Amino acid sequence: MKPISLSQGSGGRQSQRLVSAILEATGETPDFPLEDCAFLEKGLAMTIDGYTVSPLSFPGGHIGKLAVCGTLNDLACRGARPLFLALGVIAEEGFDEDELLGYLGDAAGICRQIGVRIVTGDTKVVPKGQLDRLVLTTAGIGKSSLPKTLGIQSIRAGDSLLLTGPIGLHGATIAALRYGLESEGLASDCAPLWETIEGILDFDGLRAIRDCTRGGLATVLCEWAESSGLGMEIEEAAVCVPAPVASVCDLLGFDPFHLACEGCMLIAVSPEETEPVLDRLRQSKYGEFASRIGIVTEKHPRWVTLNTRFGGSRILDMPVGEILPRIC
Amino acid sequence: MGERTRERVLAAAAALERLADRPLKFMEVCGTHTVSVYRSGLRSLFPEGLSLVSGPGCPVCVTAQEEIDSLIRLSAMEKVIVATYGDMLRVPGSSTSLAEARSSGASVRIVLSAAEALALAMDTPNRIVVFAGVGFETTAPATAAVVLQAARQNVENFLVLNLHKTVPAVLETLASDPELALDGFLLPGHVSTILGLSPYLPIPEKYNLACVVAGFEPDQIMAGITLLALQKRSGVFSVQCAYREAVRPTGNPHARELLETVFEESDSNWRGLGLLPRSGLRFRSAYSAFDARIRLGISDVPAREPAGCRCGDVLAGRISPFGCPLFARACSPETPVGPCMVSSEGSCSAAYRYGRGEPS
Repeated sequence: MKPISLSQGSGGRQSQRLVSAILEATGETPDFPLEDCAFLEKGLAMTIDGYTVSPLSFPGGHIGKLAVCGTLNDLACRGARPLFLALGVIAEEGFDEDELLGYLGDAAGICRQIGVRIVTGDTKVVPKGQLDRLVLTTAGIGKSSLPKTLGIQSIRAGDSLLLTGPIGLHGATIAALRYGLESEGLASDCAPLWETIEGILDFDGLRAIRDCTRGGLATVLCEWAESSGLGMEIEEAAVCVPAPVASVCDLLGFDPFHLACEGCMLIAVSPEETEPVLDRLRQSKYGEFASRIGIVTEKHPRWVTLNTRFGGSRILDMPVGEILPRIC
Repeated sequence: MGERTRERVLAAAAALERLADRPLKFMEVCGTHTVSVYRSGLRSLFPEGLSLVSGPGCPVCVTAQEEIDSLIRLSAMEKVIVATYGDMLRVPGSSTSLAEARSSGASVRIVLSAAEALALAMDTPNRIVVFAGVGFETTAPATAAVVLQAARQNVENFLVLNLHKTVPAVLETLASDPELALDGFLLPGHVSTILGLSPYLPIPEKYNLACVVAGFEPDQIMAGITLLALQKRSGVFSVQCAYREAVRPTGNPHARELLETVFEESDSNWRGLGLLPRSGLRFRSAYSAFDARIRLGISDVPAREPAGCRCGDVLAGRISPFGCPLFARACSPETPVGPCMVSSEGSCSAAYRYGRGEPS
């Protein structure tokens, strides 16, 4: 008996280990390094994600919005235009049907906006007490027409690291609600980023994109460093941490680099195309605050370093242990 | 604020570069300083000649193995609920931890304050709530205040396992350690808000060591270290306060009065340093009804620290976390062997999270 711990769901190193154990148990040998979605053939991309968040509804979104944005963003990260979605609903006996339909109606609206169709689905109801209200699962299919594959294997030393927006908004919003903190000015950044990403796909220098969900920006940076064998050097002052996020972190002892984002992506791009990509991002719907936050380097291979806003430098690591369970 | 803080940090770093033309060795004795130094990357700015070693500043870490074991034994007693700060949960005892004891059925609750533990006792009159009273002069007054409240309200099922320790005596032990050969102490800001400055006066007088009370922002810490280096350079040693916005020379008399009402000075057992005279607090006889050791008849049983664990040497400043053979190998925040890797204020935890990759 090996009880699964909550920290294995936090998106950090312990989650990585659970995923490896599952791969071993299934005997599947996917293409490494693992990315947000898998390519099947001829640019066809597929992904799946389960969603469990408490509370179900929060400033800036709800479980329905989260469930479509998360999956659509996982496709967008690899340059695949999202086309089809499958939706699984598991509800607890007694859950309000109107509330469910409200979430799903909004979710479908987001899909329609970017031309995605929900084509298949499933519903289950479990007896009261066997589930906390509602769990959604979405699987997505998309198509990439890029001549090359975006991903970690394309990252080179000297590349710029860009961020499409501020960090920590989703995680801080959920944390503030859970701990009963004043959350004025705080809202989840949950958003469908396909249009933002589509606008930069024609740049040849684009290397890799990843959304900074569970485990936050730090986790993505560490995964990139460890999988590419390169170092990442980040300027803390260039990373936008909104004031309400910083104060939630101060109060609860969280690191904003470890908090989940649901509408913010990390992008690696060649040095030559850094400025034009940034310009394009800043004109896009969710990219107004895009910034260059660091570079890929051959120094300190496999480590992420942070040049702090006080002029010092230190390493930046993935979160260890559970930060805040059930956030997305 | 950000840019000015950075300028002040860099100006202090430049000053230290000049002052550290001979080796300087200072010790910080507050876990919050430890974490702030690592987290803001200040170590990368220290000149080669300057070393800042971490001392026994993390309250969870300095709790002796015997004391941890006693707490775990209490949690297994019938009717007892142990109420503790979260950091204590995963500290490995001799055979198990509170977290493991909880998984096997012991009643353990995480509380954020002594007051919350008292409220729990009042809500569960059929159980005995034992509050794990951990911490230095910063948290001990709160424990004292809650004990007084429990006495006023005749709450009989609220007890304290008193693990509180006091700072000044341990500083003298470290100051007189010839192997350690310190040049000065970066004194804890929080503890000093309670104690004021006078308890530290013997250190410069008797041991010729520099003493500076500092705040917790990176620029305040750098300013504190610079003042330490200046004292060393001048050869004139005193207790300087660089945290005037929070620390009054006389400290907080009200908090000290609470302490003195409920507790009296006693010897105390420190991890890594052993039994130190006048370094702890015990209940005065008038309040012994709240002493879990007396009421539940428990006493510490000699225990050995985990095999290979060098937490004691880390706490005494004898080695840095990087000097422990288990560090980042057998011992990590996921699988901690000793308390310095468990507690968020522990120096091994801070070194692991922020300091790896730096030369040790």
